[in-house]
Amino acid sequence: MSDVVVPQDPGDALAAVAALRRLADQLEDAAVEQAMRAGWGWPKVAEALGVTRQAVHKKHFKRLVAAGVTLRRR
Amino acid sequence: MPGFDRYLKDVLDRAGQEARLDGSTTVEAHHLLLAIAADPASSAGGALASAGLGRAAIREALDREYAHSLSMVGVSASAFDAAAATPDPDRRPHPGASVRLTLERALQATAGTQPQPLHLLVAILQADVGTVPRALALAGVDRTDLVARIQTMTGPAKH
Repeated sequence: MSDVVVPQDPGDALAAVAALRRLADQLEDAAVEQAMRAGWGWPKVAEALGVTRQAVHKKHFKRLVAAGVTLRRR
Repeated sequence: MPGFDRYLKDVLDRAGQEARLDGSTTVEAHHLLLAIAADPASSAGGALASAGLGRAAIREALDREYAHSLSMVGVSASAFDAAAATPDPDRRPHPGASVRLTLERALQATAGTQPQPLHLLVAILQADVGTVPRALALAGVDRTDLVARIQTMTGPAKH
């Protein structure tokens, strides 16, 4: 990780953390939707994300149903 | 419902919609600022509009701040534009830390008496760190001057 650039200004470094968290959240929403549309099941998505199946289900189930995604149970 | 409570509820509702559009799970101070700017007929929205800060200008400043902050660690925000998720129509974002701090500042400034919409705006603009001051600085806004001008518009707080 020696090539990670930490900005000189602490305000810039902290703002980058906040922006990366937001980006990660947006990317997770998009990636989970993409995977489920491609026919992945909850266990596979959860394992790929490194979280529990319950966590990924709780966070995304209602949104994907509302988005009209056909969900596989496994 | 007293005047300010009603105003605050309306602003928080609109800020919640802004947060949902952002795909954010929390309502933050910059969502409050967007919500205030979206109502230029209000005293606070009018104060922003007279400084050239309508909702579109603030949205643009926030987008620039986001891209700028990501660029600080070598990440390009535009690289991810194609992968947009369908927003959750039922998501109810809850107030985040920056909104709590803003409300605390507004109440402190009015010493426990009923604040006005302009006090809420000043409390948002008085944050020295975080998304709002960074976005305004990138947009070339003199925040200290803006706060001073708005403070001249605020009358004494109402009981």
